[in-house]
Amino acid sequence: MVWLRLLLGMLVLFPVATLAAEEIVGSIKTVEGSAVVVRDGGLLEARPGIRLLRGDVLRTGENGRIGVIFRDDTLLSLGGDTEMAIEQFAFAPGAGRFGLVLHMIRGVAAFLSGQIAKLAPDAVRVETPVGTVGVRGTRFLIRIEG
Amino acid sequence: MKFWRLYVAGALSIGILSGCGQPKHLFVLLPEEDGSVGRVSVTNPQGGQVLDQAWQMTGMDSAEEAPRTPRITSAEQVEILFGDVLAVQPQRPLHFILYFKEDSSDLTEASRARMPAVIEAIHARQSVDTSVVGHTDTVGPNDYNIRLSQERAEIIARQLVEAGIDATILEISSHGERNLLIATGDEVFEPRNRRVEITVR
Repeated sequence: MVWLRLLLGMLVLFPVATLAAEEIVGSIKTVEGSAVVVRDGGLLEARPGIRLLRGDVLRTGENGRIGVIFRDDTLLSLGGDTEMAIEQFAFAPGAGRFGLVLHMIRGVAAFLSGQIAKLAPDAVRVETPVGTVGVRGTRFLIRIEG
Repeated sequence: MKFWRLYVAGALSIGILSGCGQPKHLFVLLPEEDGSVGRVSVTNPQGGQVLDQAWQMTGMDSAEEAPRTPRITSAEQVEILFGDVLAVQPQRPLHFILYFKEDSSDLTEASRARMPAVIEAIHARQSVDTSVVGHTDTVGPNDYNIRLSQERAEIIARQLVEAGIDATILEISSHGERNLLIATGDEVFEPRNRRVEITVR
């Protein structure tokens, strides 16, 4: 029974995971100092113009900073010594699918919510080691000491 | 003398970051540029708090502590703690709406005149992620409108590429009659719903 559920789960998840265009969640707009994107276990130097995928982890050095725009117009910026994973992103108004889940491991972040928070307020959250932020909108700041 | 100064400087910075009863981990709600204020909740297994007033702040020292009762912080304190991260916040995306003639993929004259502004915005923002989304009004069957809105989006995308925009930065999609700008019943002529929306990020 457990195996059947796992199999069904994989069937549901797999087709979504193979749609490359769907995986683009946004792009990097600003970078200062040292910052990287962790993707599939490898490291990419962060620079403006890099398109971000679901599952990417953004990591800044002590003096690093990154600014990102997501496809639903959410703006995210990270300060120094910060790590943030893009766990989930779905923005398909035509199909009624919405979701944005970030996992902040440590550091400093500023967030300005976009259209997902407007259209599906329960679908946006930021998870941190000390608690979960439910986002109805719009501008907020987080500092998590590592 | 030197030790004394160091002591004072250290005490001051500790005071700003963790003293004065301020928790180690912080959550702050800011007002928007237009003065409006949103709403966020902060919860963990120990409890939860809601922030719904400008400059309200909560926090805790660890996951074993519930979020504290929110209090109002100041713009000055936020600048000290978060100034550098606020400084790299990207500009908001630019939105353009282009309108079409009835049952057609031809832009209205006024919207045709907007195309150079769209192209300029894509260059100015150095966008690598611009979406072009087609829409229709509610006249005609849904599947016909999905095709019509896709055609509208593709024609605009083609014009952008002909003007020198890199095709790989464009995300083309169509919402048919399912995402109306002006809410109407079915089979209603509405020029403002016959459109392509372009978001330059």
